[in-house]
Amino acid sequence: MDRRKVLRFLGVSPALLTGFPASAEKAPAGVSSSDGNAGDVITVLNPAIAGRLATRVPLVPPLDSLDNKTIYMVNLSWEGPDAANYFYETMTQWMNQHYTGVKTIVKVTAEGMFGSDPSLLKAITASKADAAIVGVAG
Amino acid sequence: MSRWAKQIEMQCKIPAVGVASSNIVHYATGYVAKYQTGMPIRYVSVPFPFTGQPRAVDVGYVTGKDMLSGRPLMTAVISALTSPLTDEEKISGAPPEEAVEPRFLPPDSEENLRVLFDDKEWTDFNTIILPTEKRVTEMLKGTSHKPDEVIKTINITGGARPLTVEKVAINAVMAGASPEHFPVILALATQAPFGNSTSSMANMVVISGPIRNKLKFNCGTNAMGPYNRSNAVVGRAFALMSKTAGDLRNNVNAWETLGNTMQYNSQCFGENEEALPEGWDPLHAEMGFKPTDNVLSVGTGWSSIASVGASQSIYPTHYLMRDYMSSFCASGSAATVVMDPTVAGLLKDTHGFSTKAQLSEWFSQNITKVNASYWGNGVIQSTAVPFALQGLEPYASWRKLPDDALIKPFTNSKAIHVVVAGGKVQTMWFVTDFGIRRGVLIDDWA
Repeated sequence: MDRRKVLRFLGVSPALLTGFPASAEKAPAGVSSSDGNAGDVITVLNPAIAGRLATRVPLVPPLDSLDNKTIYMVNLSWEGPDAANYFYETMTQWMNQHYTGVKTIVKVTAEGMFGSDPSLLKAITASKADAAIVGVAG
Repeated sequence: MSRWAKQIEMQCKIPAVGVASSNIVHYATGYVAKYQTGMPIRYVSVPFPFTGQPRAVDVGYVTGKDMLSGRPLMTAVISALTSPLTDEEKISGAPPEEAVEPRFLPPDSEENLRVLFDDKEWTDFNTIILPTEKRVTEMLKGTSHKPDEVIKTINITGGARPLTVEKVAINAVMAGASPEHFPVILALATQAPFGNSTSSMANMVVISGPIRNKLKFNCGTNAMGPYNRSNAVVGRAFALMSKTAGDLRNNVNAWETLGNTMQYNSQCFGENEEALPEGWDPLHAEMGFKPTDNVLSVGTGWSSIASVGASQSIYPTHYLMRDYMSSFCASGSAATVVMDPTVAGLLKDTHGFSTKAQLSEWFSQNITKVNASYWGNGVIQSTAVPFALQGLEPYASWRKLPDDALIKPFTNSKAIHVVVAGGKVQTMWFVTDFGIRRGVLIDDWA
């Protein structure tokens, strides 16, 4: 049950659930929240902060097969643009050997793994690529 | 990595599969999917390490097994792109219920609560002061700011967690601080969390202004050692708030492969402003603050190298500093030199550096590095190579130079800071690769 929706339905602020403002929640009655002796039951504040969960996004439907498809291989420049050269070279050779109808395109991101590269995304769309391989990180 | 795969899926409308080592995949499909992307990215996994390997190793990875499924890697890649989606992979929209953290923890014994705090990784595994309501209320008296004021949103690994004044007060209590420390710790909270990178970063916290003396921060002998309460508790509070507010947990979303012992208190110390040579301004004054302002400055870096022994007349001190600094990666041209007042005096009186800025400029002009060594650093590869690829200078030109060419990697002297601390016991110094950001006015948090 969505407790936030229930609270909203009842006309109560969902902020109560998060513990803000600070006065929204008091220590349970009858339990010491001050400095107790060893063995006493005490109440302490919670240092943790609730994290906001990401909105779920579904994956794009898969391909039926790789026949005559174009696969865009995106080299993210993890630890440098040359670090994955052998890897992409070998993947390309493997594809050419095992899937002769598959076209492969290898591209290195201009902005590195931490940046964004809108021109690359446009290039992928313009190439009419059917799928992408992104990497390599580690 | 997941961000890139998600962009391709959403903007190009094609399926994408990521290739990464297993720790990256673990993080990406767990924490990142939950708090950042919301998308269960398709992944296959290769062994670690991936970078810096000879051709035969990378060939072996491609022709070898997927570490996740155990199938041949390329078979797994094709399967990821062609297999029907699972129900989990089809989910869209807002999460069913937002996460909640109650303000109070369930009542328990002190012993059990200590175990809980350690189990949750909310501590640095040294004994903490448990944050009872009475103690936190007392801590909050150290500031005029309201408990529910949000200082910043911590989103380093996702989750967009609002760090409030009260949450900082809880961490300040845990660290053993007193209410008079609280404005300093709140100013420090604006810089949270501490460095969190597989490259094993750490931080440096420098206190400037009259508050150093008022709160008895150690700026003299043992300034950077475990001999002073204010240095210890303020620095420790930074570690605790970084972990709790950032939800940083080992092998969950904290992936510093070696970690860094400097994270325990982030090298918190005060500058020995009273011992500065004439003409050498305090750190915060160099940033444009008034000398009477109380300021806290945070740097991020990895390492430091010590002079080890006393300065020698046969080789000028700044030459030795230069030599040692040439081993740093020079990312962002950043460096910080921490020196005893006696060294500052030598540099001024014997070698003629009448200001800190002159010394920084000398370093910028005289530190050289072999080109291949510069580009051989992983951080430089990840940060400066994109600049070079975009044609930005001097990176684009440096990339075209021969491996053995000498470059001057500290291009911005203003990013080289000089801080004076210590007790005049030895002509001692540290050169570090810490890049100090602009200071924060502590007085704003009183």
